[in-house]
Amino acid sequence: MKKLLVGLSVLFVLFLTACSGTESASGTTEDGKTEIIFWHAMGGELEASVNDIVDNYNNSQDKYTVKPVYQGSYEESLTKLKTVAGTEDAPAVTQIFEAGTKQMIDSGNVQPVQKFIDEENYDTSQWEENISSYYQVDSEQYSMPFNSSTPVLVYNKDAFEKAGLDPENAPRTYSELKDAAEKLTIKEGDQTSQYGLSILNYGWFFEELLATQGGMYVDNENGRDGEATKAAFNDEKGQRVFELISDMHEAGTFYNVGQTWDDMRAAFQSKTITMMLDSSAGVKGLVDNADFEVGVAYLPHPDGVDPQGVVIGGASLWMAKDINEKQEQASWDFMKYLSTPEVQAKWHVESGYFAINPAAYEEDIVKQEWEKYPQLKVTVDQLHDTVSSPATQGALISIFPEARQQIVTGMESLYQGADPKEALDKAAAEVDTVLEKGSRSR
Amino acid sequence: MTSTKRISLYAVLIICTAIMMFPIFYAVSISFMDGKEVLDGQLLPSGFSLTNYVEVFEKVPLLTYLINSFATSAIVMIGQLLVSSLAAFAFVFMKFKGRDFVFFLFISTMMIPWEATMVPNFMTIQSLGWTNNYVGLTIPFFALAFGTFLLRQHFKTIPKELYEASQVAGISRFRFFWTVILPISRSSLVTLGIYSFLTNWNMYLWPLLVTNTESARTVQIGLKQLQTQEIASDWGVVMAGVVIVILPTLILLFAGQKKLQKGLTQGALK
Amino acid sequence: MNAARELQPVQTEEQQPRKSRFAFLEGWLYLLPSIILFSVFVFYPMFRTIYLSFFLADQIGPFEFAGLENYHYILRSDSFQSSIKATVLFVLFTVPATIILALFLALLTSEKIMGIGIFRTFFSSTMGMSVAASSVIWMFMYNPSIGVFSKIAEWLGLPVIQWLQNPDYALLAVSLSTIWMSTGFAYLILLGGLQNIDPHLYENARVAGVSYFYQLRRITLPMLSPTLFFIITVSFINAFQTFGQIDILTKGGPVESTNVIVYSIYKDAFINNDVGSASAQAVILFFCVLVLTVLQFKLGEKKVHYR
Repeated sequence: MKKLLVGLSVLFVLFLTACSGTESASGTTEDGKTEIIFWHAMGGELEASVNDIVDNYNNSQDKYTVKPVYQGSYEESLTKLKTVAGTEDAPAVTQIFEAGTKQMIDSGNVQPVQKFIDEENYDTSQWEENISSYYQVDSEQYSMPFNSSTPVLVYNKDAFEKAGLDPENAPRTYSELKDAAEKLTIKEGDQTSQYGLSILNYGWFFEELLATQGGMYVDNENGRDGEATKAAFNDEKGQRVFELISDMHEAGTFYNVGQTWDDMRAAFQSKTITMMLDSSAGVKGLVDNADFEVGVAYLPHPDGVDPQGVVIGGASLWMAKDINEKQEQASWDFMKYLSTPEVQAKWHVESGYFAINPAAYEEDIVKQEWEKYPQLKVTVDQLHDTVSSPATQGALISIFPEARQQIVTGMESLYQGADPKEALDKAAAEVDTVLEKGSRSR
Repeated sequence: MTSTKRISLYAVLIICTAIMMFPIFYAVSISFMDGKEVLDGQLLPSGFSLTNYVEVFEKVPLLTYLINSFATSAIVMIGQLLVSSLAAFAFVFMKFKGRDFVFFLFISTMMIPWEATMVPNFMTIQSLGWTNNYVGLTIPFFALAFGTFLLRQHFKTIPKELYEASQVAGISRFRFFWTVILPISRSSLVTLGIYSFLTNWNMYLWPLLVTNTESARTVQIGLKQLQTQEIASDWGVVMAGVVIVILPTLILLFAGQKKLQKGLTQGALK
Repeated sequence: MNAARELQPVQTEEQQPRKSRFAFLEGWLYLLPSIILFSVFVFYPMFRTIYLSFFLADQIGPFEFAGLENYHYILRSDSFQSSIKATVLFVLFTVPATIILALFLALLTSEKIMGIGIFRTFFSSTMGMSVAASSVIWMFMYNPSIGVFSKIAEWLGLPVIQWLQNPDYALLAVSLSTIWMSTGFAYLILLGGLQNIDPHLYENARVAGVSYFYQLRRITLPMLSPTLFFIITVSFINAFQTFGQIDILTKGGPVESTNVIVYSIYKDAFINNDVGSASAQAVILFFCVLVLTVLQFKLGEKKVHYR
């Protein structure tokens, strides 16, 4: 019993120290520096890179200290932010994924960085316009783009050669894509050992395939001209995408990889699939791990359609509203630091995400990297070739996460033999209901 | 038992072990592989390199996480033991109005899915200012219907004469509880202790919600932190993380297996 | 382990009238910590959930009274119907299989032979595996390109199944991993139960020369019934509340085939920002579990053999 008592008291002391040891989320450190908290959703390899950049920033000046904290996936960190917003636990700067943009604006807990841009006449023209325009609402820059990626077609060059296809000439249109996939598919009896194409069951890829045709996701110019009230993705443009998947799946040239990025890449590395749509941020890892030549090409588009380019994916940095002036300055200073060409070059090389400051591409480390991975340049070119319009700016809706779930369910039902039009209409009807419900929220 | 019977019994035991233990073995095996070996789908690593383990500790502050997991699990364990044994004591050795109703209420809490109450609970923790520290990670779990139930079942097996004798000797109820009941229920307490330690160690969603700083995080979050979304995860490193996370609980389980088994059954049976 | 019996007052002491007021207070004093904690962290959120289910609400709180709209919406939606189906199937897949597997292993290891302790430790080991860790391992095993299941299938010349991508198999795959995870605990309980059976009963049976299965049916199972009843109840409750493995393995997909109610609640509350709908689902789930548990106590009580 004595032992238990001793143990108890030890624990109690531990407990108390733990309580008193808690730190307030944002404040001033002992040496008079202003400390701000930076929430991000970068796990694994990327976290090391983010920590590195933040360390460099902290050492580069002596006024501010930034503390990066990982907060789970994009969805989880967004949820957490919503619940702590306005309290002292709230971080000064948070990384939020593109689909959360509207939710952030509606929450009223953030302040547009435009304020700081205006204050010091910061030159935003140095930013990649196609990236920053995603986060512009009512011609106000709300957040600072940070990690951006676009979808590309990734393919196995060795397999192309074996199938008698030109490895330097990847399919551009849907019919070329179907033809190539047909040739790449290897069947032995009723067993297929190699498939033509895979698209991850993730709403983002559908959005991209729609946008490159100039198609709208929701009405009111993708919700940028006023509150979106209805889904628009179930028009003929959206149907073409669903038909492509459905046709190819029926032909046996399309392989369903599920909804995990890692599963799709494993299928590609193990040569189960020869072409896939992937994020530009994943390209470098693919090249490193594959024991074959990896090719990267633009996102395919339907025949007879002028490709409009891509919507940027990824995330941006948001500044909280209820922070003191020092912290505001610290946040802004940190954001500015992040967008310098040197930092962006390092970030681009280490993560595979785009540099939001094109000057970064002139940096030596980027040039060296591109020499080693010429595939990376393709991803950047595709972004530069994008025509800026409401379609490629991307939809602005608060119910994005749920809309994506509906699209995914629709895609999955295609593999069960559902009719493409019906599947898409069903998803659209669900999105309409949710939009209607969402419009009643404060 | 005849020897053929014995041999076939061992054969069945070994086959079952192979099947049951395979996932754990597989995880250990992958934790020693490099990226290419993993993607080739090999079953065994070519060598026992510890690079993945080193990398795990470099990538996430796993040591801090381990300490946090350990501390919170231990605190919850002690808290649950105290709170549950007090309640169980009252349910068995005291008779007062409303007791059975309260007991039924307690049992009913077992049926409420924790996920369903998470949002309001999070708000409560936040308004109490308990986020980011051990308080928020532990206090909500101190009361455990399952534990009260288990201990109550055990206390009921204690002869009433013991209690009557203590009353005659004029020992206060609390002293009786503290110096007589708790020591003789040691095996049940150990059981409940291990059970609550394991359950708490394995918690994931709640710790992620109530902690915003690395200094208060637990290992299950660290496990998630090793995986990436948009770029490829390094499976060898993830599995090394898995092995590190399961090791302490497996050791605890192996050490306390006998007591655990004995205590859990008493609760279930009597 | 019998509701009616449990609730009968146990005569532990003869109360003297003048002492009873003090005893009353003291009794409550012992219960106070539990009562406070349960009120704050279980009953309050439960009532709050019921309250919120009548509103349109987000994580911050309710913003518009909706009456029964959330319920209407849920009961009409296909998504909720598939959730119910997934939940019921999941429970049916996991609970009986877990119990049977655990019972089988417990019977195997109830013999006292050399080295049995090691096997007991092995079989109970999954109890120490966290859901997060186990799910990561299983996710890898199910990987159609590099996982061990497809390697075995290839080796045997069988078609490779996309366990987690195919709606026909996903729930089965998640169930299989769940069975593995929950066997350890059930095994430990059942093994303990077996060891508590009076050895004399078996000796008598041996003298009478009855077969093993007769012995199993007539002695082991009846004597084990209270333990079985306990573990079945606990397994049912746990199965209804499964969350972690779904989140990690399938996220409720494909085509919502693994979208069990608890996961659907989580998704609505934390990702879709629709706390009203999540609350209504939680209320429905709570009543389903309540009804089932009461039914189980009522039916189970007749079958359980008490000494």
